[in-house]
Amino acid sequence: MTGRWQRCVRLNQPLFTKPFILFASLAALAFLLGFFRELTGLGYVTGLNDGYSWGLFKNWNVTALTAMGSGGYAIAILTWLFNQRKFHPIMRTALLTSFLGYGTGMIALGFDVGRPWNFLHFNNPHNWNPHSVLMEVAVCMTAYVIFALDVENMPPFLERLYMSPDPKKSQLAMKIFFAIRATFPFFVALAFLLPSMHQSSLGGLMYLAGTRVHPLWQTARIPLLYLLMAYILGLACVLMVLLLSSMAWDLGWDMDILEQLTKLMGRITVVWLAIQFIDLAYRGVLHLAFTFDYYSIWFLLQTFLLLVPALLLWFKPLRSQPGTLFLLTFVLAIGGLIYRFTPTTVAFSPLGNYKYFPSIAEILMSIGFTSFAVTLFLIAVKRFAILPAPAGEITAGAAVQPFDTL
Amino acid sequence: MLDQSNLPIPTSFRNGVDRRTFFKVVAQATAAIGLTGSLAAKVVAAVEKGARPSVIWLHFQECTGCTESLLRTSHPGLAEVLFDLISLDYHETLMAAAGHQAEQALESAIQKNAGKYILVVEGALPTKENGIYMQIGQKTGLDIVKHVASSAAAVVAIGSCASWGGVPSAEPNPTGASGVNEILQGRAVVTLPGCPANPYILLGTLLQFVALGKLPELDDQGRPKFAYGRVIHEHCPRRAHFDAGRFAEEFGDEGHRLGYCLYKLGCKGPSTHASCSVLQFCEVVDAWPIGLGHPCFGCTEKEVAFRVPMLKPAEIVRPTPPATYAPVTAPVGVVSPIATGLGGLIGGAIVGAGIVAAKKMNTSQPTPVPPPPPPAKTDSGSKVTE
Amino acid sequence: MNVNRRDILKGLIGGSAIAGVVATAIPAADKDSGAIAPESDAVGLLYDATKCIGCRACMPACQNANGLTPDRGGSGGLYMQPDTLNAHTKNLIKLYTAPDGHERSFMKQQCMHCVDPACVSGCPMNALHKEPKGVVGWNPSLCIGCRYCQIACPFNIPKFEWDKVNPKIVKCELCRHIVGITDSQPACTKVCPTHAVVYGKRTDLLAEAHRRIQAEPGKYFEDRVYGEFEAGGTQCLILSHVDFVHLGLPTLGKQSGPAQVRHMANFIYRGFLTPIVLYGGLAGVMHYRWKHHLIHTETSQHHEGDPAPQQENNA
Repeated sequence: MTGRWQRCVRLNQPLFTKPFILFASLAALAFLLGFFRELTGLGYVTGLNDGYSWGLFKNWNVTALTAMGSGGYAIAILTWLFNQRKFHPIMRTALLTSFLGYGTGMIALGFDVGRPWNFLHFNNPHNWNPHSVLMEVAVCMTAYVIFALDVENMPPFLERLYMSPDPKKSQLAMKIFFAIRATFPFFVALAFLLPSMHQSSLGGLMYLAGTRVHPLWQTARIPLLYLLMAYILGLACVLMVLLLSSMAWDLGWDMDILEQLTKLMGRITVVWLAIQFIDLAYRGVLHLAFTFDYYSIWFLLQTFLLLVPALLLWFKPLRSQPGTLFLLTFVLAIGGLIYRFTPTTVAFSPLGNYKYFPSIAEILMSIGFTSFAVTLFLIAVKRFAILPAPAGEITAGAAVQPFDTL
Repeated sequence: MLDQSNLPIPTSFRNGVDRRTFFKVVAQATAAIGLTGSLAAKVVAAVEKGARPSVIWLHFQECTGCTESLLRTSHPGLAEVLFDLISLDYHETLMAAAGHQAEQALESAIQKNAGKYILVVEGALPTKENGIYMQIGQKTGLDIVKHVASSAAAVVAIGSCASWGGVPSAEPNPTGASGVNEILQGRAVVTLPGCPANPYILLGTLLQFVALGKLPELDDQGRPKFAYGRVIHEHCPRRAHFDAGRFAEEFGDEGHRLGYCLYKLGCKGPSTHASCSVLQFCEVVDAWPIGLGHPCFGCTEKEVAFRVPMLKPAEIVRPTPPATYAPVTAPVGVVSPIATGLGGLIGGAIVGAGIVAAKKMNTSQPTPVPPPPPPAKTDSGSKVTE
Repeated sequence: MNVNRRDILKGLIGGSAIAGVVATAIPAADKDSGAIAPESDAVGLLYDATKCIGCRACMPACQNANGLTPDRGGSGGLYMQPDTLNAHTKNLIKLYTAPDGHERSFMKQQCMHCVDPACVSGCPMNALHKEPKGVVGWNPSLCIGCRYCQIACPFNIPKFEWDKVNPKIVKCELCRHIVGITDSQPACTKVCPTHAVVYGKRTDLLAEAHRRIQAEPGKYFEDRVYGEFEAGGTQCLILSHVDFVHLGLPTLGKQSGPAQVRHMANFIYRGFLTPIVLYGGLAGVMHYRWKHHLIHTETSQHHEGDPAPQQENNA
């Protein structure tokens, strides 16, 4: 089935497939290891040490993967700010990936902090340190998830509630819906502001480390680069989710939307690379990229993985095949994730002689939390009308009005 | 052996001694146990006033080693002690009396000096079956000690046996041997453990009592801090070898011959509070276990002596750095090769899955139909719907 | 609806106008972005590596004063043998030997108690904070164990108890539980036999350090005190006859990390003005868009077979 995506549908597919069981098992393993971590301490389940005190959970699950979880932010900006309403059918998918990306990132963070009982003190703004970038990230991310993502993700669930035979539930769903509809602009504006703040601040976090981050990555422009990369990775994630979903469940390939997004993603990546290179030249460290030491090779790899797909995506024939589209997006996403991850870990060298590589348990937990997001995604798309599909035969469980306006 | 040339002229009788010589003796004695010189004057003054404190010395479950070690002092010699410094009114080993005469001597000493005499106890007291395992004249040790202690001004337990039970209390302790402080509950007892106790500690304690009228500062086990304030390890002449990691591994090996640290041979110096490392025995330098090449076995400590095997290494409770230094940057962090392998495997799997998915996307779908062209604008200018 | 370049342009111009106005027209509130001066009664340590004999009396003294379990290293329980600062070791004496063996120096490593500490700036909960007299202290009842302080500190000082379920951040706090309470100086300076490390007011220590430098020109490396200006100044100062880099001290500029972050944050946020103005702009645009979207979707053609739309008021 091909055609333009015009509505959101619920998949009529069995839930307990082999992939689902795989992802659910990995997720269960992660939580089991997490439980074990609570009983024993971080030193037993991670490879972290005093030099590299941030590892996979913070630098990957939070810093890198919430960038992937910026799909809602990216698509919403396109749809609302730039008035590209054709992307509206994929909003629910994008918002769901955002919610899951941020949610599982924060779960990983919850397991990573050493003294989580003191999170209670978070509720008292008097305890906040206004100079701390990490405080800003924490407050913004929490506010984003609670006040923006929550609300934006409600329509598919409200829809389901509305379809319930109990009239009370139906009415409740409508009431909530209208409340959201009346206040939607204010929530969406918040959903633009907050991620702009904390996605850039995730980069600003490393600015405090000064010369401990390699000059190829450490710059006063790091918040801008992190913010733009979040946008790029958000688009990439939505693209990959849509392409994989289309492949798995025959949703039809709306090449119009897919090509537009990929073209945009590629062009923003070129702009991003230009900003980065101008910044390097301005700071006089561009030559470091060509010394072919460990950092230089890593930087060149990252650049290569970003530049080649970005350039190739310029050409329409390469964009018109979904598989090629997917592969180029995938490679670009890897490059982008490498960028988000590197200043925190690879390019970070603490004073002293420290080595770090995640332990097996740490790797399994990190993968498990991501698998948890995939598991929840699978459940959601098979229970609620989220994924886009062409208009066509009626499929039970399609999004209904007026909920599909949100 | 003993260097005779420096000994003071033995003066068995006070009458034959001039004040200056006597003062010298007392000064040497106080110096030997670390009391200040001004105390010597006080002792002399006190003794000249005729205030030689009465001392009653009781023996119980003991080997008499503590008395024997007291006999081997010369600063002051036992004679000076007995006749010039204290009035030893009852001592079963040294006194001439025996039998009923001895019993009477004890009672009259108690009555004459009631409330003023010092009771020195040597030996442990059996407690099982009401103490029948140690009786003198059909009176149990328990009764004797309680009776004599009742009107004593101070009670001093000399030796490990009197301090906490000593040898008789070793497993299985069939007689229930205990230190005198456990018998005399509620009464401050100065304990001077050691097997034997170093006699100068007793002399120092007694001299201080004579001069200042009070006992030296005691720790929580009743041991004088001036003698038992440190563990051997913290003032051992072989400490530099310990810090540098030079150990005797076996008796008679090269390290042992060179006088290296005896820690690995089971030296209990780190666990043992005593003064042997600075105040040796028999007034001979190095006349103490470690000095002679045998590890300390912790004779003063209830938890160590006769309980912990001799050759079992002691626990270092307050470790200090060794003779080597930390480098400016020491390596930290282990990179597990298995984890690296797992990470690589997972990365490879994800990339592989991506490539496979891309292929499938390209081949499983026919070339998608391009989007329909936008419908022509009608005259009414109605907006195109999505 | 096709891609409408007008809309894109409108969005871009609108967005950058807002950002530009906010970023440039509103004057920066620069109060917080400048350097911080040390408190007048700031205290610290002066460590003179030329006087240190490496006796390490300061190490057990610190252990005992702080109630730390000694790190026995790989010594089989025999020694206190940490080779880095860690969760059991707040103070460490290290030895530097030049490869050719001609130069040697000891180095005492502990928290530098910076004038403008990066750890304090980064700590989200103010668990790491400046106590009276500028001592950097840690508060267990606020710390969430995020370990940002370990990322921030240029000297890599704060250590974490990785093996505990109730982990603490461990670092020298200049014996603030002792000084002024049961004693007048920290444990390490009290036991130092050569007064290689001394405690006092930073102003006095700096004066003393300069006096020593002037008294023997050429003796001390580059005739300067490490910590006078590094990273905005530290309260623990170091004099050495060898290059500070050999002692493991980082080469740092005069501006502290927190000052740089404050400068950047101020440039972007202008107090809290930027987010507020940005939100206002975004909400305004959204309100306009939302109105049009509702009109549009509620008058558009149905999808075939859809249930009839509810008759609702437009927002």
